[in-house]
This record gives sequence, C-alpha cells and structure tokens, in this order.
Amino acid sequence: MAAVSKPAAPSKRDNRAADRTGLFDERFLKTLEHLHMVSRKVFSGALRAERRTRKVGSGIEFADHRTYARGDDFRYIDWNLYGRLDKLLLRLFEEEEDLHIYILIDVSDSMAIGQPLPKLHYAMQVGAALTYVGLANLDRVAIIPFSDRLIGRLPPSRGKNRIFRVFDFLQKCDIGGKTQLAECMKDFVTQNKRRGLAVVISDFYDPEGFEQGINTLRYHKFEPFVLQVYDQREAAPKLHGDLALVDCETGDTREVTVSRSLLEAYEREHEKYCKELEDYCTKYAMPFFRTHTAIPFDELVLKIFRSGGFLR
Amino acid sequence: MRLLGPIPFGIWIWCAVGASALVVGAYIIKMRRRRFEVPFSQLWKRVLEQKDANSLWKQLKRLISLLLILMIVGLLLFAALDPTLGAVDRKARSVVILLDSSASMKALDGDDAGKHTRMDIAKQKAKRLIDGMGGGDVAMVMRVDGQATPMSRFSSDGPVLDKIVDGISASDTPADLPRALGAAADALRDRKNPLIVLVSDGAFPEQQLGQVAWDAAGKSLSAVDLSGIDVRYIPVGHRSDNVGIVAFNVRRYIANKAAYEVFIEIQNFGTEPAHRDLYLYNGANPVHEPQRIDLAPGQKVRQIYDKLPISEENQLRAALKPLNTAGGSDPFALDDTAYALLPARKKQKVLMVTEDNLFLEGALLVYDNIDPLKVSPAEYAAKPSLADGMDVVIFDDYTPDALPPPPASLLFFHPTGPNSPFKVTGELAAPRITEVDEGHPVMRWVAMSDVYMDKSNTFAIDPKLGESAVAFSVRDAIIAAKRDGHRKILAFGFSLPSAGRESATDLPMRVAFPMLLVNTLDWFAGDQADLLTTYATGKRERVPLDGVVGATEADVRGPDGSTTKTPVLDGLATFYGTHVGYYDLTAKAADGTMMSQIQLAANLASPTESDIAPSTKLTLGGRELKAPEAFAITHSRKLWIYILLLAGALIVTEWVTYHRRVTV
Repeated sequence: MAAVSKPAAPSKRDNRAADRTGLFDERFLKTLEHLHMVSRKVFSGALRAERRTRKVGSGIEFADHRTYARGDDFRYIDWNLYGRLDKLLLRLFEEEEDLHIYILIDVSDSMAIGQPLPKLHYAMQVGAALTYVGLANLDRVAIIPFSDRLIGRLPPSRGKNRIFRVFDFLQKCDIGGKTQLAECMKDFVTQNKRRGLAVVISDFYDPEGFEQGINTLRYHKFEPFVLQVYDQREAAPKLHGDLALVDCETGDTREVTVSRSLLEAYEREHEKYCKELEDYCTKYAMPFFRTHTAIPFDELVLKIFRSGGFLR
Repeated sequence: MRLLGPIPFGIWIWCAVGASALVVGAYIIKMRRRRFEVPFSQLWKRVLEQKDANSLWKQLKRLISLLLILMIVGLLLFAALDPTLGAVDRKARSVVILLDSSASMKALDGDDAGKHTRMDIAKQKAKRLIDGMGGGDVAMVMRVDGQATPMSRFSSDGPVLDKIVDGISASDTPADLPRALGAAADALRDRKNPLIVLVSDGAFPEQQLGQVAWDAAGKSLSAVDLSGIDVRYIPVGHRSDNVGIVAFNVRRYIANKAAYEVFIEIQNFGTEPAHRDLYLYNGANPVHEPQRIDLAPGQKVRQIYDKLPISEENQLRAALKPLNTAGGSDPFALDDTAYALLPARKKQKVLMVTEDNLFLEGALLVYDNIDPLKVSPAEYAAKPSLADGMDVVIFDDYTPDALPPPPASLLFFHPTGPNSPFKVTGELAAPRITEVDEGHPVMRWVAMSDVYMDKSNTFAIDPKLGESAVAFSVRDAIIAAKRDGHRKILAFGFSLPSAGRESATDLPMRVAFPMLLVNTLDWFAGDQADLLTTYATGKRERVPLDGVVGATEADVRGPDGSTTKTPVLDGLATFYGTHVGYYDLTAKAADGTMMSQIQLAANLASPTESDIAPSTKLTLGGRELKAPEAFAITHSRKLWIYILLLAGALIVTEWVTYHRRVTV
C-alpha cells in the first residue's frame, strides 16, 4: 500500500559523489593511453583530425566535377577530361574541417547515486576517455556539465596535452540539482552555434521526459550520441519491508511495503523506460549505448569505438 | 472443562482487554518507515498506480494479519487460565498430606529389620498415596513438626510432589498437630471434596488430639474446625520400647559457685524391663563412673549428682549407652543423649579504693572468684590509671574526680558531691528501707527491711539515662543502679562503718551483706544464677542477652554448624531449637563488634516424643480416623500445552505470511 506525502526535504546527500579527487589517477591515464592506441588500430585508415564534410572546398580528397564557370581557378580544371570530352570541367575536392565534439555530462543529484561507484564518477570517466580520444584525434572537444541548467563549460580545445585541463575541470565543476534535459539542451544549442557531435551522458531520469531535450539537438543539426548510465541496484533494487522512498532530486516521498511482486513490477517498469529511450534513439538513427556502472568504463569506450558511432 | 489458573477471572478480563487494545493500537498507529533514497520516483509511481488497484484486497490482508495476532494473544491468555478437561469430576479431591516430621519419626523401626526410620516409611507411604491420585485430584504436602510448613501448592503433578516428599527430613522437635490441622483446614477452605491424610506414628499428646471440632457449631476457640473435611490416618512404626533422658539440668550452688549439681531423669517407655549405662561428661571428660540403670516397664528414675567440681569446661553431656542384654537397646537414639551448660565463670579483677575497711574486705573474702587489689583514696587520686584493666572498682566513702573509664563496673558506698554517678538530692537521717526492687539481680535472696543506718544520701533517678532505684526509703532512692553502655554502676547512699567515720550502719553485720556483694559482682559479670541455658527443642523461648542495647537481630550457630538469624527485642533474643545440641547466640553491633555471646543447650526433653509407641488407630476429637480409601479414577487433561502449540503454529504462520508478503 502506498501513499504520497508532501515532498520531504532531500535527505542528506551522500558526498561520495562530490569527492572526485582520486577519479583521474595515474592508472586512469594509462587506461586512456591504451584506449587511444586501441582506437588507432580500430580506425587504422584515419589520419589526423580530418573529417570530411559535405562542404566542397580545398581539401585533397576528390569529390566531384562541375562545369567551369567564369572566374573559377584554372588550376582545378581537369585537362584530361577536356581532352577526351572537349568540355571544361572543374575538379571538386571535399573540404576538411575539425570535428566539434560536445561532451554533455549529467551532474544532477540522481547521478550521485550508485554502488560501488556513483554514476556521476562513471559518467565523468567515460566522458574523460571520449574527450581524450577526441583530443588525440585533433578534434575540438568541449565539456558541458548540466542538471537543471548548464553548469560551467570547458571551451573546445584540441591536442591531447589538454587532457589535464579536462581532468581539472571535471574534478572541480559543481554538481547537484534536478534533471531538466529540455531546458539544458535548449541553452546548449543557443550557446553553441558550431554544429558537431553532442555526446549526452546521463541516466535520463527526467520527470518531464527525455524526448524534448534530444529533439532540440536534432532540430539544431547536432548529431546526438546518447549514452545512458544506470546503476544495477536501480534496475533491480534489493529492498524489502516497509519503506519511505524519497526521490533524491524532488524530495517526493512515497510509503511502500516492498514485496517481491512489487519489485518485479518495478524491474519491468525500469526496463520498459530504458527500452523507450533506446527505441526512440533507434527510430531517429541516433547512436545509443546503455551501460551500468559495474561494466568497466574502458570496456564501454571500446564498445563505442567498435560500433563506429563515435569516430568515423 | 474447568479453568484452574492462578489468575482471578476479573484480572484476566482486564489483561485480555489491555492486550487486545495494545494489538489493535499497534496496527492503527502509523508505522515508522525506513527512509530509502531513490533516483527516480516516477518509476515507483507508475508501479504503485497499478498496484493501488488492489488496495481493498491489501487492506483485507492486513486485517487477516490483525486477526491472526488477536487470535495468538487470545490463545496465550486462555492458556494462562489453565483450562483442564475432566477437572470438574465430582469425585476429584483436594488433599493435604500432613507428613509427620517430629523427633519420634527418627525411630529406627520403620521396617522389621530396623534399617529404615519411620520417616523413610512415611515418605514411601505418602508417595504411594500421591501415585494413586486420580487425574482430577490435587494435593499439597505439609511438613509437621514443631511448626506446620506447607512444602507445595495444590498440584496434580505427581513427580513434583514425590520430589518434595523426598526432600523432607525429620527434625528433633515434638509435633504440633493442632497447628498443622489448622493450617491444612485453612488451605482446604472452599475446595470441593477436602481431604487431610495424616502420615504419622501417632505419637501425639492426648491434649492435642482433643483440640479438634468436627462441627463448627459450638466449638471452642482453641479447637481446630475440621467441619466438612475428611481426615484419614496412615500409621507408621511398630516398636514401643524406648528408654530416654526426659530431663537434664545443672545448677551451680548459690553459696559455693565452685561446685554444681546435676539432675537427670530417665524413663522407660517400653513394656519390658530395660537396662542402660548412664554416663556423665564434662566436655570430653567423664564426671564419674558409668552407672547402671535398671528400669521396670514405665519406670521413671531420677538421678542427682551433687557437689561436682567446676572446671574450665562448661559443657555437660549425659548419655545412655546400650547394654548387650535383653532390653539393653532401643530404636530411638535421639533421647539417649542430653546436653546442658554451666554458665561461664570469669575471675574478676576488683580494685578497692578504701582506707582499710575490714567489713568490706572481709565480705569479699567469701567470694573466691575475684582477684582483689586495694589502694587508698590518696593513692587512687594520685594515679587514677590504677583502674585500667580492672573489671570492678569499689569506692568506699570516696568519690573520684572522674569516673574510671568503661568497661570497669563501679560500686559506690556513699558517693557525694557533683561527681557522684547519681545526682545526690539530699540526706536522710536514720532512714529505713521501706521498699526494694526484688526483681533486680542485686536484691535476689536479700532481706533489707530492718537494716539500720545513721544517715543516707538520696539520689535523683532519671530512667532516660538507664537509672533505676534498687531500694527506697519511702519515696527517696537510697540504693541506685544503672547501665552505662556495657558497664554497670551501683551506688549505696550510706557508708559502711569504719574507723573514724561518723555514720554507721549494721548492714555489714547481717547475712545479707556478703550476699549483696556477691549478687553485685555477679550482676557486674553478667552472671545470672537463674539464667536458663538449657531449652527444649520445638519451643520458642526468649533468651536475655546481657548488655545488648540497640541490636535487632542475633546470629544463631546450630549444632550442625549452620548459622541463622534470630530477632532481638529489648535485649531478648528469640530462640527456637530444631536440633538437639549446643547453640551459640551472638549479638553484634552495627559496626560488627560483638556485644554479647551466650551458649545454649537444646534437648528433646519431651516425654510425649520419647514415648514412641505407635498408634495404629488414632482418635481425633473423639472420632477414630480411618485409613484413606483408594482415589477414584478420574481423567483430566491439561490443555495449556496444546493451546501454546497452536499459538506457536499461528505465530509461525503469521511470520511466514508477513515475510512472504501475503498479509502485507
């Protein structure tokens, strides 16, 4: 039997999530280097931070021909074709430009939960790993933590020697607050005009839903990359007895008597919620990854690399 | 079915109401729940919205849980009422088994071989009686000796009652049958089919057997009301030949305290002539040669041994020893030995502060148990420490500036001035002693009525200070006494005649004078010639403890070495001997220092108990008691264990259904 009571004051926060001093240690750095090496093998054809765009410009990769127009540079006329076809055609090359990668990390209160590692730490490690690989590929990577607003911003930078700034930023950035994905994504697209890959690392526990936030990215020509992080105990909680369940973000309290059937119903509901997110991303061809914190973050990153969704 | 539980029904109802209220209250009050933080309560909300559709069923399940708990509580309370099936059988009886544990039950004639005492056989018969009880019968075991002691409550538990019977042993006291019958009748009041079964040798005095009334109407106050109660008798024992010491006393001569005489009375209770050797011991030493005693059936022999010399040992013991002839032994050994005590004598150190008073010194010469020292008043004034270590200081017509310190007792003749131990109120010329306190130890056997004296001081007596007047001249106290802590003070208002003294009295010329001094010194020493030191077992006696002030209890060390406490009131200790032999009574102050110690002897000294002839038929209040009939076969079944098992099963069910979330 359950009853809804007035929102209680959020309980005293477990400050394990706030303590991030040991998050990026020497071992973590070595793992990153390993990931970088592995990524280079996986994408052996890829060279520098060259990412072809649909722009046609001054690249070296041949793209197409077009008819010569007055004023075009004579150097790009394809004289061989002129000899065969007697037409002045101009050779077009794909323009190469730096990729902008935006790592959006959910730092709301719900991300502070997790055993043995808070989801936030896991998300930051994954975010840092992706950032490192991006920096090493000479992409421009920015990190933007968010909860009910955008909390700070690490401006886009490139070169893997920037990784220490990333660590410092992640260790010191503010955390906490409710999850409001829609508002945050709206702010994000407003502030970042340069399109690019938007990696959203979150549990997506937004009472108002995840769709609007992701759609905002899509509508503004960003490439959303959805990474859902959850804790196994969230999916299959080991609870029993009479409990007062307190929402860590809103403080809403619900009195429940936990039975086995209730737990099973909850597990089904959690799976259903995650499936909804996955189906949504599949429907709109967005890369989607779901992971729990018990999976080592480097394993997840490799999985992302192998799927080819992050680096192309 | 009958409810036999010890809880009154009214109290039970209150308990039931209270317990039910507690249970219901526990279900009504809001449960304090453990808080648990979840990341996304929306998911729980969705789940609970689906579950809430079944809320009515859930409430019902919770009601089932409440009903289960109420049933468990109800069953437990019902079990407390001890519901018993078959207990209402009309033939079921309430039995009090009076097991005679008096001294005569120690007689070794329980069986023909003489290996078992009557007590052994009585216990066997009592257990046989218990084993024969029907299912609805309940019994209480009561021990009967000088007191009546219930050893159990009414119970139908045979093994428990058997164990209680096994634990009973005979004492050395006579039986008090009326007291036991009264206690049994009280216990059986308002019970159906009451029955008293007396297991005994029937050795009771006729007077006790008559103190019974079978009809409540017209019974005397002293009679035990046995109306409506069936009394039965199971006899034990079969021999009646016994020779015992029925009296054993010793006293010191008044005139010669260095000697004493002994009185022994021996009786043959058998129907055949008997022969014994009589021994008398002082400590471990025989006092005289063993004397052969020949007794005709029923004959009583009195022996007096006089002028026996006193020794360091004060314990006397008389013993009858069997002879290897016909009639030379008997089965009852308890009365073959008797104990007595001579009051302890201590040689007193006496300091006389006098100027060569021949009367005083001459009178003290008759007393052989003192160690006198004489000093003049001038010598004493120069060195008062002469009194240190003395037991008694006598001041003859001299009053010191300060009284010698305790524990020395003081005897004054003609004290004067402000340092007098008693306040001097005036002086009488040619007074006559008109009244004496004959109860005071100093005045025992002393006649003072015609004593002449020229003059005498008179004393003011303050009873609050422990002072008392021993002799009066009309209303004025001229001899006064008081207790000052542990020491005693006696003062004569007049002086003894002596050379150079104006006043004179003819007291020293009288026989009373040395007696007066001896009495005084005995009183100082705490030696009371009439103090009884030999008591009968099974009787409550009041024993004076000399010099005990303020103590409320004393330690009693019995012949078997066990120590018990006994109350003390106004210096009198209560003594109740349960075994023959020597006892030590010790009164201690609050700080543990010993205030007084005396030794007592206890003997059976009961011709009734020594007359061990068993009565196969016992007539009580004119009605002959019959042997108990066999108990009717009745069945009873205690239900509480089954109820507890059912309650346990329900508790398990509730536990399982709760933890399996069936009733949640």
